[in-house]
Amino acid sequence: MAAKKLRRARLSQELCERLSRHQITTCQDFLCLSLLELMKVTGQSYYDVQKLLRKVSQACAPKMQTAYEMKLRKSVNPSSAFLSTTLHSLDKVLHGGVPCGSLTEITSPPGCGKTQFCIMVSVLATLPVSMGGLGGTVIYIDTESAFSAERLIEIAGNRFPTYFDSDEKLFCMTRSIHLYRELTCGSVLKRIMSLEEEIISKKVKLIVIDSVASVVRKEFDTRLQGNLAERSNFLARGASVLKYLAEEFSIPVILTNQITTSLSNGFPIQADLVSPADDLSLSEAGIFSPEGNSKSCLKPSMNYVVSPERHLEFSLGR
Amino acid sequence: MQRDVGSLPLAPALRARLIAAGFQTAQELLETGPCGLSKEIGISKEEALEALQVVRQECHGGAAGTAGGSGATRKCTALELLEEEQAQGFIITFCSALDNILGGGVQLTKITEICGAPGVGKTQLCMQLAVDVQIPECFGGVAGEAVFIDTEGSFMVERVADIATACVQHCQLIAEAHQEEDHLKALEMFSLESILSHIYYFRCRDYIELLAQVYLLPDFLSEHSKVRLVVVDGIAFPFRHDFEDLSLRTRLLNGLAQQLIIIANDHKSAVVLTNQMTTRIGQSQSTLVPALGESWGHAATVRLIFHWDNSQRAGPWRMILEAQKNEDNPSRNSWQRYTNHRVRRSQPYHITLHILASWSPLSKCESCGTFIK
Repeated sequence: MAAKKLRRARLSQELCERLSRHQITTCQDFLCLSLLELMKVTGQSYYDVQKLLRKVSQACAPKMQTAYEMKLRKSVNPSSAFLSTTLHSLDKVLHGGVPCGSLTEITSPPGCGKTQFCIMVSVLATLPVSMGGLGGTVIYIDTESAFSAERLIEIAGNRFPTYFDSDEKLFCMTRSIHLYRELTCGSVLKRIMSLEEEIISKKVKLIVIDSVASVVRKEFDTRLQGNLAERSNFLARGASVLKYLAEEFSIPVILTNQITTSLSNGFPIQADLVSPADDLSLSEAGIFSPEGNSKSCLKPSMNYVVSPERHLEFSLGR
Repeated sequence: MQRDVGSLPLAPALRARLIAAGFQTAQELLETGPCGLSKEIGISKEEALEALQVVRQECHGGAAGTAGGSGATRKCTALELLEEEQAQGFIITFCSALDNILGGGVQLTKITEICGAPGVGKTQLCMQLAVDVQIPECFGGVAGEAVFIDTEGSFMVERVADIATACVQHCQLIAEAHQEEDHLKALEMFSLESILSHIYYFRCRDYIELLAQVYLLPDFLSEHSKVRLVVVDGIAFPFRHDFEDLSLRTRLLNGLAQQLIIIANDHKSAVVLTNQMTTRIGQSQSTLVPALGESWGHAATVRLIFHWDNSQRAGPWRMILEAQKNEDNPSRNSWQRYTNHRVRRSQPYHITLHILASWSPLSKCESCGTFIK
């Protein structure tokens, strides 16, 4: 929207030429100037410049919708609002499953099962809609090289033995999961930026990024000067593009985070690695934390907008 | 009428010509007339007429300013202002501790800023306010509509529907208890559909769309004159990343603040902004402070900062509220421990803050039926 050329904002040809002589070609350049500067550059009076501003703003501004219209649109197609995780208690707490159209963050200390959860959800997304899936392909961005195709087939075969009864079906499912291995922040960001066209061409219904925290942890040491700002910059840009994709195509986006121990006032507390100062404004967050032997506890918490904290127990099976 | 020609809002080229021709005051221009002007300066008669109309509007507009229009200057005594402010309603938040700190609720014609760490309930509070502004006057509300400008995409319609349903139920309980004619009449208009249809939602994805929307807001508010609340959820988000030129950012933010103040005053509505927290690295430790810098702190009249209380390691989270810069009640600029209130799922509106409080086992509160520790 910002890069929209002034020509398309219905300004007169002569005015556009005059502005381009001052290097003002897009709506962004136009709106960033103050009124006096605009008067100087366009050579028009105060009131005319205000009218021009309103005209350009109309070309850029978003469309208005009432909350009622939004609700009606969602209620028309309720089944497409969530991706059910097939874990009953989790689905109940999340009011249906992983929400489509927003970002979901999964956090836990290492070894709790984040990657396994992501792999399972990828399988679910490839299932046809009649079986509770999304009937589409998956984009899986892997930064830790933790994705294992054999584990994928194992999960699919054990969870849905009746559906994946032939090798053909398994191969078809594995073909729908597009795996990208990105090892640096820069490449992750580049990949996220390029996703829009891929989503349309490959009919993608789920994006998984596993994990955001590891690549940020590798590259940014917050004790060094300047790194904190760069880190927030990278995270905020990635988050805004992902949010746009999630909303535009109404697909779920899952990110994984890590829990690290931060020393605060001498007490070690468990805190998310990508945390308060990096406000990504997520709509859901789930925390897996270890309790006892091979049983993990799931607590949706913090950024919840839909449901309050709950404790659930689950164990990683076959 | 002795206004200098150089200060008139004419096109710069025209102004330069007038000054070069020797005109000094607006009075001279008006005396010359359009034909004389066009001959002296060498412009067409239509242009001269337009210029004279602008000059006339400026001069007469200034003289009529004392009538108290919505122009640049408005003179009135402090007593008139006091009466106006006292007659104004507040937008209640349904959270008594918060309403107490604010002196009754969110004030109209003022900018209120809500800061806090992610997940603390800023968007929830904004959604609550968007519903509460529509409460009819007989129930103690301001009976207005709401504009919701969302830059982060965290607006959830299902949640707003829950909040609205609970609010309608609450009003129904009051009406049943009092059994008055106007209560019942007001309730007919106050339903889930009407509440949702009077929340005007704009989704701005970057700072340019936000700027454009704020430029168009005065026209929108003139068309929808019942709007009493403008929420900008996430004023920091579009400005925090990807801004190399910090001075441009400061200028744009100041411009935004000024426009919002004008909107708040002219249309008698409350403006609520949400801000994020950022880490300020001090000498030995780092603290969380509101984002967007020190100069932005001057934009809002009332600033609410929400913190998590994590002084108890294994214990429950509690909300601590700090009301900064609240000019009405300086004695309340203190840490106010929020009571541990737990809310039942059936009363979601009771809480934005309630919900984020502790979850240890509780007993039930008699008056409102919520669980208390």
